[in-house]
Amino acid sequence: MELADIISPDRVFEHVQGGSKKKVLETAAGLIARQLPELDPNELFDNLISREKLGSTGLGKGIAIPHCRAQHCTQAIGAFIKLEAPVDFDALDRQPVDMLFVLLVPKAAHEEHLNLLAKIATLFNDEHRRETLRHAPNTQAVYDALVTPL
Amino acid sequence: MTIDSTSQMIFGGAILALLCVLASVLSRRLGAPLLLVFLVLGMLAGENGLGGIKFSDFGLAFLFGNLALAIIIFDGGLGARKATFRVALNPAMVLATLGVLITAGIVGVAVRWILGLPWLESFLIGAIVGSTDAAAVFGLLRMAGFELKERTGATLEIESGTNDPMAIFLTITLVQLLAANNDSPGLSVLTEFVRQMGLGLAIGFAGGYLITRILRRIHLPASLYPLFALAGAMSVFGVTNLWGGSGFLAIYIVGVVVGNTSLPYGNDIHRFHDGLAWLSQIGMFLMLGLLVTPANLLPIIVPAIAIALILNFVARPMAVVVSLLPFHFPWREQLFISWCGLRGAVPIILALFPTLAGLEHSSTYFELVFFVVLISLVLQGWTIAPIAKWLDVELPPSLRDPEHLTIKIPDDQEKELLIYKAVAGSSVVNMHSRHLPLGEGAQLVGIVRHGVMIDNPAQATVQPEDHVLMLAIGGTTLAVGRLFSPSAPETRLEENVFFGNFVIRPDAGLQDLAQVYGFELPKHLHNLTVEQHIMREFHGKPVVGDHVEFGSIQFIVKDLDGNRITAIGLKM
Repeated sequence: MELADIISPDRVFEHVQGGSKKKVLETAAGLIARQLPELDPNELFDNLISREKLGSTGLGKGIAIPHCRAQHCTQAIGAFIKLEAPVDFDALDRQPVDMLFVLLVPKAAHEEHLNLLAKIATLFNDEHRRETLRHAPNTQAVYDALVTPL
Repeated sequence: MTIDSTSQMIFGGAILALLCVLASVLSRRLGAPLLLVFLVLGMLAGENGLGGIKFSDFGLAFLFGNLALAIIIFDGGLGARKATFRVALNPAMVLATLGVLITAGIVGVAVRWILGLPWLESFLIGAIVGSTDAAAVFGLLRMAGFELKERTGATLEIESGTNDPMAIFLTITLVQLLAANNDSPGLSVLTEFVRQMGLGLAIGFAGGYLITRILRRIHLPASLYPLFALAGAMSVFGVTNLWGGSGFLAIYIVGVVVGNTSLPYGNDIHRFHDGLAWLSQIGMFLMLGLLVTPANLLPIIVPAIAIALILNFVARPMAVVVSLLPFHFPWREQLFISWCGLRGAVPIILALFPTLAGLEHSSTYFELVFFVVLISLVLQGWTIAPIAKWLDVELPPSLRDPEHLTIKIPDDQEKELLIYKAVAGSSVVNMHSRHLPLGEGAQLVGIVRHGVMIDNPAQATVQPEDHVLMLAIGGTTLAVGRLFSPSAPETRLEENVFFGNFVIRPDAGLQDLAQVYGFELPKHLHNLTVEQHIMREFHGKPVVGDHVEFGSIQFIVKDLDGNRITAIGLKM
């Protein structure tokens, strides 16, 4: 499964208001549910928060990959969010987060979903790609930077 | 001795030392063990080699050998960090005593069987090759840029620092029995053992305490502190031997005590002895190379190879497995420890004992042992790096504190000024100074860029080539230091590849994790946290790099505080 299979330009959100980690996740759940009405924003938010309780999904270098399982989700769904101002995400390197990739996967477990998560994390380990994403002038440019293969 | 011949000797010795230092470059390129290079250089300079130097003064060799060994062992003690005793002290102690006994016993039987020597003499040879060489193993691993898991690394380090006294004790006892023609050792051996080890421990601790006390109080020119430490340690070594204790054990303990005490000029003491230990290694192996007559080695090649093979493939693994039985080491680590039984200078020095005591077959001992050590250096020395990789006992090099300057603030020995350089590729580059994980009590002092202290460092972003100055409580070094480590040589050892990209809280429930990541969790683990599970798997003593697996998910210990896990990596 490639990134292009799970994300579309209309699930790239820019200039999202931050505030706090909790607020960001709530906003993210809302934005995704507006695109995909079969998903329940409250359930998404609860599940994302429960995952954060096991340990922050902040990778460091200003990136976080919140992820969880979701009901009525038939295939993996990705969304990318650029924040207006960075928020504290309890990341290991204590750097605030300004870009998030949210990954939702179906209830039924699948080896492929783990691979996908690892793939997304690897994507953001690349400093060049992080900077491209950060300075992308518009939504389409952000999307292009995301789906360019490694 | 004429002035001319003195000058000749100095010139000859200096040229040899120079060659040795230069040879270290070659050794790094070839991956050949450095000590082997020294030994071969010595043999080349010797009577059958190009140099044609005749040196056969066993008495002098013995004196220098003891001196050099004492310095090397002292330096080993200085480098032993108390924090590693948590996982390694007990296993290392068993290896250093029972392990040596088992090794010596099995090799003894092999010698009896292969060479047909009488029992006592066979065991004497076993005892002589019983101890491992710390410097050899660690020189090699450090040069290859390896960082070992703490359990493995520290066990090997402490073992090799402390097993020499046991081998020396066994050798001396057997030599005495042989010289006295006494076939029934009996109780006297046991009392002798207690006296050697007891006195070694007692005088070592007392001496170490005294030396650190004086070092803290006394005001000396800076360069004299290391000299004082050396002279003090050597006095302890001498007096312990005179009183019938184990001087090697005593000087190791002095090293441990001095090395683990915060002292003025502590770094100078370390650096001075590091250099001195190198010089001792070079000098000792050169001398031993000179001492042996290579032509005499030819007739014993076959039995020596047989004995070396039994030592490395039977005796050492048996000793390790039996000694580590109570400690439940993972099998990969046991295998690696078995293979790290490198023999070095100690056996060769011990092989001089029978000669000095005027025993029969003495020269056979020396040549046989020399050859066994040679084989061990070649066989194991050359393969340790690939074997460590194969057995997966390495850690990312970023876990090691990178090179930096430490300045102790005088009169307040708890505070240090640390100066780190931000090399390109390290994770500190581009980090806002506000986000430096300084830890409790630490402060950012300043950032020097192109030789100038920049204004308002608290608002700056760290750039490559910057020097970052921090004030910290002694011992907080590590937390900050990691950020300044250069990037890993191989992708496999990059931190986010090795530990995975995500970090899990130690108190996260396994059941919750299983739900998110969809792995099968055995029933009996349902109510455990990740930390509890890892604690059980590793018998309460986990180290960084230990991991547990569920399907394609791995949880890896990333950070510890004493016996408590503070961070766990999640790898997919």
